[in-house]
Amino acid sequence: MTRQGLPKRQRLVGVWLLLSGVSLVGGALFAAWLDSQLALSGVARAALWLGSFSGGITLFLMGLLLERMLFTPLRHLQAQLARWVANPDAPDEHTVEGWLKGLGPDLRRVSHSWRADRSRLATAHAEGARSASRIRQELETLLQVLETPLLLCDRHRRVMLFNQAAENFFAGNTGLGLGKRLDALLPTATLANAMAQLPDDGSPREMLAPSDQRWLKVVIRRVPGSERETLVTCSDATTTWNNEMGVRAELNHLLPPLRQHSASLSSAADALRQIPPSETSLELRARLEQVVHDESQALNKHVAEIGSLLDDLQYHGERLRPIWSNDFWQSLDERLDPAHRLITPIGVPAWFKGDAPALIELFDSLVDHLRCHLPSSGFEGEITLNPKRAYVDLIWQGSPVPEGELTIWREHPLTTLPLSPSVADILRQHATDIWSVADADKRHARLRLPLPTIAQAQAPRELAPPRPEFHDFGIAQLPAPDEALASRALRCLDIVAFDTETTGLELRRGDTVISLGACRIVNGRLLANDAFDHFVDPKRAIPAASTVIHGITDADVAGAAPLETVLGLFRDYIGEAVLLAHNAAFDMLAISNRGVDFTMPVLDTLLISKALDEALDGHDLDTLAKRYDLHFPPGTRHTALGDARVTAELWLALLPRLEARGIDTLEELLVLQANAFDKEDASAP
Amino acid sequence: MANVLVVDDEPNILLSLEYLMSHAGLTVTTAPDGETALQRIADSSPDLLLLDISLPGISGFEVLEQLRRSESERHLPVIMLTAHGREVEREKGFALGADDYVTKPFSTQQLVEKVKALLAERAP
Repeated sequence: MTRQGLPKRQRLVGVWLLLSGVSLVGGALFAAWLDSQLALSGVARAALWLGSFSGGITLFLMGLLLERMLFTPLRHLQAQLARWVANPDAPDEHTVEGWLKGLGPDLRRVSHSWRADRSRLATAHAEGARSASRIRQELETLLQVLETPLLLCDRHRRVMLFNQAAENFFAGNTGLGLGKRLDALLPTATLANAMAQLPDDGSPREMLAPSDQRWLKVVIRRVPGSERETLVTCSDATTTWNNEMGVRAELNHLLPPLRQHSASLSSAADALRQIPPSETSLELRARLEQVVHDESQALNKHVAEIGSLLDDLQYHGERLRPIWSNDFWQSLDERLDPAHRLITPIGVPAWFKGDAPALIELFDSLVDHLRCHLPSSGFEGEITLNPKRAYVDLIWQGSPVPEGELTIWREHPLTTLPLSPSVADILRQHATDIWSVADADKRHARLRLPLPTIAQAQAPRELAPPRPEFHDFGIAQLPAPDEALASRALRCLDIVAFDTETTGLELRRGDTVISLGACRIVNGRLLANDAFDHFVDPKRAIPAASTVIHGITDADVAGAAPLETVLGLFRDYIGEAVLLAHNAAFDMLAISNRGVDFTMPVLDTLLISKALDEALDGHDLDTLAKRYDLHFPPGTRHTALGDARVTAELWLALLPRLEARGIDTLEELLVLQANAFDKEDASAP
Repeated sequence: MANVLVVDDEPNILLSLEYLMSHAGLTVTTAPDGETALQRIADSSPDLLLLDISLPGISGFEVLEQLRRSESERHLPVIMLTAHGREVEREKGFALGADDYVTKPFSTQQLVEKVKALLAERAP
């Protein structure tokens, strides 16, 4: 017997047997007493004994009957119901029996209907999930091909979504990232105020915001029906604004003096015509002639100013966009003959400004024209820069195209462009002309098209592959950023995991950082495409012994920014996140005292691991990576970014173990970490 | 006395330039278009050419190009005149072999000075 008592069935059987036994014994005693009192014999005596036992026997038989016809079928039914609950598709092993037999058909119908309903629900669920996934995929594709930079922010102005166009638009700006505040990207008080006061009906509000060297037109609107989420779209308004406030304003200023001089000139000319040719009018005539001379000089000067302003206007025209020469030659080549390469780009590639589709059409028509005269040897494309212009040169072996032929070609309509403009129209649009001259070697000739250049030297960034994480709507569920960090749940922390590579381990004796890499964890996910990866100029030679470890040579860091600059960028990258490193004491020492404050809490996977598994040996990154089955691409260990990523993965592996120990908030973790640090400190020799 | 050929299709400016150049001691002939200009050059071998770019028929650039290709006139000093005044056109003029370039409107005084300077430079 256990303390919990007999199981129910056993108790029932016990009570039944006890009652039957008591009845039988009681009946036997009663029958023996009556028998001795009445001294019956024969049938009367038999009837007395039988009557006395009848109660017990009836009780015993009733029990047997109930057990067989009711309790056993009920127990079987209970087992079957439990089996169905655990596994709805379990077979019907027990048929309904005894007095419950009548329930059989109903029960079967109920179970079949239930299974059919479940199956229908499962199908509908799967169908719904497929449909939702398809819609999501379509929306993602749509967002990513949309040319308008777009961001979606939660009510705390944290970015929950951004598209490829936004990533390209803000290329190089460390303020853009999932979970980061919009204020880091567009630090304008007016934007924050406007977002706070947006109407809920989705009507847009526009404003101009400065960003780097640009003026951005920012359009914000509340997403109707959302939890005060805001959709932000941006466009570069610098050109429009400069034209509006610059060239056009100057043209407007020039008009009144032009009218003035023109009026003076025509009045003086009229007066001169009307003066009678007499001696007395000689002086007046001389004065009027001086007026005509002065006014025409003034007009000349203003007309020259207008000419240069109009040139400016066309050079800064909105349709003229930056073009990278290699991209231009490649697009032209694909257009001319998709199967063969006809144009070989030579020289140093450069940026210039132009209306790319119009220029492609223009060159396409030109090459068609040239190919009639030239052997099929192909062309070379070269960009020659002078301080004001980029010459886009098409070069071939042979003699230059006579100007007369170019004149005919200028009138050629480009029928694939809207309104079929002529070549001359496109040249006018670019405020330029075209000419052909022989090269100095006399063997080659070139066709030269001057175009505006732009002050940019670097090649365009390679287009990042579509990022797997460009949205995370879970960000909206994160606590408000101004809420005390200490009580923040670990899983909700914004974390930047980082690592440094150094010239050596003696940081206090002059060793310093040569590479700084970091990655970001938002909402418990490591963002694959959000990375900080910079070489640092250590201003000293990298010892060969340390190059053996990280593979970084003096050549790698030549021309890199100094540590102070990289730390400034790193501080911007961190935003409001918490720092994470493995053996953080070393990395924090490497980046401290360089003029940039890192006052945010710092987590250390080394200390956390020691706190969790005091008894285990081996808490270095490699051992822990093995212990938690973390994999990383070959060659990425011992690079700053590679190790930062392993540290981030390690954190995500430690997180459930911390939660299982009831360590849920940053405050609790910092206490645990501090204790581990104290123990380590105490055990240190 | 140096002989200057002025080529322009605008009669008003031809009238003034002809007078001003003569006044400055130069012999002036005029031509209203590119074809006539080439003919005059062949006939009278001028010492300098004032050449407008926008001409009926063959353009000033074409005239310049033909001169620079011909054996006899490839060194004839040429000052281009234009009403467009774009810097690109200026560069094109120099690329095709012009010696100087003047944008309309211009100061006649300065033009005459340029002509004289160029003539002096090329004087044997």
